[in-house]
Amino acid sequence: MFPGRSGLKVTGGWVLMDEEKGEVGNLVWAGTAMATSSEEVLLVVKRVRQKKQDGALYLMAERVAWAPEGKDRFSVSHLYADIRCQKISPDGKSKIQLQLVLHTGETTNFHFTSESSAMKDRDAAKDLLQQLLPKFKRKANKELEEKNRMLQEDPLLFQLYKDLVVSQVISAEEFWANRVSMNSVDHSLTNSKQEVGISAAFLADVRPQTDGCNGLRYNLTSDIIESIFRTYPAVKQKYGENVPHNLTEKEFWTRFFQSHYFHRDRISTGSQDLFAECGKLDEQGLKSMVGQGVRNSMVDLTSLEDKSLDEGYGISSGPSTSSHNKTLKENSNAAIIKRFNHHSAMVLATGLRKQDAQNEQNGETSSTDGNSKDSDFFQPSVKKVKLQEAIEYADLEQENGRKPVALNLKKSDRYSHGPTPVQCQQYATSQDIINSVNCIRHEIADYTPRLTQVLSSSTASTAIAALSPGGVLMQGGTQQAINQMVPNDTQCELKHLYVAAGELLRHFWSCFPVNTPFLEEKVVKMRSNLERFQVTKLCPFQEKMQRQYLSTNLTGHLEEMLQTAYNKFHAWQTRRMLRKT
Amino acid sequence: MASDDELSLLVIVVDVNPIWWGQQAQREPEFTLSKCMDAVMVMSNAHLVMTRSNKLAIIASHCRESHFLYPNKHWKAGDFAGDESSCGSRDGKYELLTVGNDLISEEIKNLMERTEVRGQQTETLLAGSLAKALCYIHRVTKELEAGQEMKSRILVIKAADDSALQYMNFMNVIFAAQKQSILIDACVLDADSGLLQQACDITGGLYLKVPQKIALGQYLLWVFLPDSDQRSQLVLPPPVHVDYRAACFCHRNLIEIGYVCSVCLSIFCNFSPICTTCETAFKIALPHAMKAKKKKLKPTT
Repeated sequence: MFPGRSGLKVTGGWVLMDEEKGEVGNLVWAGTAMATSSEEVLLVVKRVRQKKQDGALYLMAERVAWAPEGKDRFSVSHLYADIRCQKISPDGKSKIQLQLVLHTGETTNFHFTSESSAMKDRDAAKDLLQQLLPKFKRKANKELEEKNRMLQEDPLLFQLYKDLVVSQVISAEEFWANRVSMNSVDHSLTNSKQEVGISAAFLADVRPQTDGCNGLRYNLTSDIIESIFRTYPAVKQKYGENVPHNLTEKEFWTRFFQSHYFHRDRISTGSQDLFAECGKLDEQGLKSMVGQGVRNSMVDLTSLEDKSLDEGYGISSGPSTSSHNKTLKENSNAAIIKRFNHHSAMVLATGLRKQDAQNEQNGETSSTDGNSKDSDFFQPSVKKVKLQEAIEYADLEQENGRKPVALNLKKSDRYSHGPTPVQCQQYATSQDIINSVNCIRHEIADYTPRLTQVLSSSTASTAIAALSPGGVLMQGGTQQAINQMVPNDTQCELKHLYVAAGELLRHFWSCFPVNTPFLEEKVVKMRSNLERFQVTKLCPFQEKMQRQYLSTNLTGHLEEMLQTAYNKFHAWQTRRMLRKT
Repeated sequence: MASDDELSLLVIVVDVNPIWWGQQAQREPEFTLSKCMDAVMVMSNAHLVMTRSNKLAIIASHCRESHFLYPNKHWKAGDFAGDESSCGSRDGKYELLTVGNDLISEEIKNLMERTEVRGQQTETLLAGSLAKALCYIHRVTKELEAGQEMKSRILVIKAADDSALQYMNFMNVIFAAQKQSILIDACVLDADSGLLQQACDITGGLYLKVPQKIALGQYLLWVFLPDSDQRSQLVLPPPVHVDYRAACFCHRNLIEIGYVCSVCLSIFCNFSPICTTCETAFKIALPHAMKAKKKKLKPTT
């Protein structure tokens, strides 16, 4: 095309010319102040007003900009990455506008004022933007979304983030430095996602809303359209044939919903309907599916009949009723049921069709939907295995296989001896034994219970004293109750402190050995971060504990860890000083 | 009310080893078996009086047998009438307690009378008594009416030392009690018993070594009378640290780190190339000794 001033090249795209006046128009070139010399201008639209000023809109490779008439500098410039979405004014309005909504929430309105071609201009700009925006959107948001997602999924991470970054102990970049590298790995793994299936109720979900006066409004999203195309390839074919040559999209869908094809009772009313053919194709498809049957030799569907003799009397095995005997009501019910089955079969087939499309070079079975996979599945080997499973029981078989080696124990009485020494503590001579036995016999022979003289009060009170808290027998009790003495929220806070301190210390210790200047800086920074952490988080916690009279030293270990880090830093620093001097 | 439906069964296993008690009578005359039985009776009376539906059993653990002191096989509760020796209560006590006490004293007398010690049988048959207690609890549980629940515990009053030969049976009893949710409490009079410490730890009972034997009654009432629900509300002596170290098979020393044969799982304190229990040979990687270089013989020219 023609070279521009200031070294700008206009490549590709098309320039809208003012046909009426027959002139090329006053294309305003961007000043070098704003545009780089290598920026491609994809589209220029004249007669665009912004904030009540005439000007021209420029769509470039990476941004959209607008310059007022007569000026050569862009006054409005937005990168595609910053734009969240675009909106257009409805068709009936007198003002033809295009609105850009940024991520920050700001909006910029462009009013297309050309008398003849405002609509076309606006649509051209809209289409181009529609193509360009998605490309940039993904790049910018991906990281933020990823980070947000990670924070939401992991409450611990979120807490850590709050503790460290929000309270400005470390900066956000340091926080994400280690973690973002994990991001890119994960993302590549999740790219091989599963295909989302189609909900069987997708047609029912298109709930029509009454439009006030006898009309119905159907809201079609691109998801629903996609589901319809995937399930009914015939409709897709029709769409491909007719849109945009004969019908607009809107007309196509209107006809679709109006047609009897879509309605419950499909009574074919002649062939004016676009979709009558689809109905016939469906019938054929259903017939062939039924004809193919289920190629699973283990299942005999035809033996299932729905005709019962009476409640609880089982199935009548008479000849299946021919269609002549059916009443009208049964006929229409049969039609609905048939459609229902067909619909379900088509929905299921979408999943299989994907796989078949991949194996299409080998296979011939993808002509009818649904049952090809089943027939493949029941290859002879699989069938054999299934039959064998049903016949044989593993534990009724004969014992075969090699016998395990028996355990050969020489001194098995060793096991029954517990952790007590073999020889008894006291050795009693037989004379002692006899004496003792006689003694006890005499004593018990005269035994009468004297239950009122079991205890004297002094012995009882010494015993009670020993059993009271602080007594001889009660030592060692308080040590166990530490987690009962410290309230739960203090415990939670301590946990958070540990997690945050652990994170900081990990950054600190990973800097050693300090080889590069980057690590040196990082070490110094981490040292100051640790100090800041101690001052802003640890000390208030300790003061709070003191105020609550908790005498247990909960933060001793934390302080020890921090002190070790400080000592290491100090040692490293002195060594560095020595090396310098 | 819920407490009406739940029965509480206390089984007291008293160690009446005649040799130990005989020696004890000679050592410390103020606390003898009679005094011990008195204290036990006080506690059992207290238990029966706490709730009407409480049940009791007392087993005497002897060197040669384990004998039920209460209840008697031939006696049923409420069967006072035809008995001449005790027509009602002499001192206004609840009849059940009177009858119970009389029964216990009579039984212990009979038991001690027919004591004969033969040979090496000087150790208390504690494992056997515990097993009998478990069986009794099991029987009573089976005889309950539909809808009644019962909580049981066993109190062991131990006098003599542990018997090393009963170790295996003891451990089996402990695990069976644990499975049945039966607490085993231990009140130890003389020397600490490792086995009972383990029993109490595993089943969730209380272990107490009594510092003053004369005050046994007080300890029993204070520590062992409340049942497990009430114990959570009381401040009771803390659990003892249990020594769970294994003993090596060769010297019976308690070790913390040792060698275990992978075939028969026997524990040794030192490595030996052949396991003495199952005779498996083991190799252990020794650091390679530097082989001395063979000197080349210089060919003589």
